[in-house]
Amino acid sequence: MSGLLFGMVLAVLLEILVVCRRTDVWHRLAAFASVSTKVGMVMLVVSVVRDDWMVGLVGVIVLSVGNGSVMLLANLLQGVER
Amino acid sequence: MIPALAAGFSGLAQIASALLLLLGLVFWIAGSWPLLGRGSYLTKLHYLGISDTLGSALMLLGLLLRFQREWPLLLLALLSLVVWNTIFGYVLAACSQAARRFPPAP
Amino acid sequence: MSRLILIALRMLIWLLLTADPDELNVVIGLAVSLALPLPRRVRSLTPAQLWRALAASLAAVPQAYGEAVQLLLHRKLEESVLHDEPVLPSGRPSSVLVFLDVFRITLTPFTIALGLDDGGRSYRVHHLVFEEDRR
Repeated sequence: MSGLLFGMVLAVLLEILVVCRRTDVWHRLAAFASVSTKVGMVMLVVSVVRDDWMVGLVGVIVLSVGNGSVMLLANLLQGVER
Repeated sequence: MIPALAAGFSGLAQIASALLLLLGLVFWIAGSWPLLGRGSYLTKLHYLGISDTLGSALMLLGLLLRFQREWPLLLLALLSLVVWNTIFGYVLAACSQAARRFPPAP
Repeated sequence: MSRLILIALRMLIWLLLTADPDELNVVIGLAVSLALPLPRRVRSLTPAQLWRALAASLAAVPQAYGEAVQLLLHRKLEESVLHDEPVLPSGRPSSVLVFLDVFRITLTPFTIALGLDDGGRSYRVHHLVFEEDRR
């Protein structure tokens, strides 16, 4: 299980590297959204490993409503660029 | 007899859950890797869809097998994850294309 | 009839969220799902259309996994094209049908929907193809 967590953190670090490197704002937005989903999944796995459901509840909330804000940002950005 | 059967079943569920979690991790890494390359934006969105939606759904299925006490919330997470991420990919693609189709006035 | 299906979907989400089959809880969920506004033009939708769209969306999930494996195995070969896909039946589409169609197109890794064109008669779809197929 800890090996799995290690791999998941590695995947999140990969995305953060992309965010740091790219200059195009759309690439950054996509990578940030992906980081949000992945961190939610890491939370769920951590909650299963520690057998502490409160962490998992936060993870479920992040997964279900966390993307809404990024979606709003994408719409805003489209209006700004036009 | 029955407890042995139950133990065997639960062991099978553990193995299946570990397999699903590993497969999801493979999807994650393989789908995130093209982000570092030089492909076009939309191509990267295709790969991101694999990694985020499909890989995370596999992982959630693995967690469901392992953690049956809280199945309603995990099922809700699975449902909202798939729907949100898919629609989110569409919104990102459509918004970036619209910005490109109407170039800003000089 | 199609209103009933939509309200049943809302009730399902409410019950999963609260995880509590209590009587009062069910009544509250029913009240909330009846009070939320329905999407436009859902009344003119026949249940057969809605069922077909729902079934197509569900059938897209295993297909998406197949395409994902295919795409990950052929990493270096792809090239992207844009094309139009006339999907909608005649008449003005309901927003529920458009939502389900966009979901179905975008879920599969080879295609992403980019929006409606032609006044709502076709979708613009971004499609990945292998180079050997184009030659």
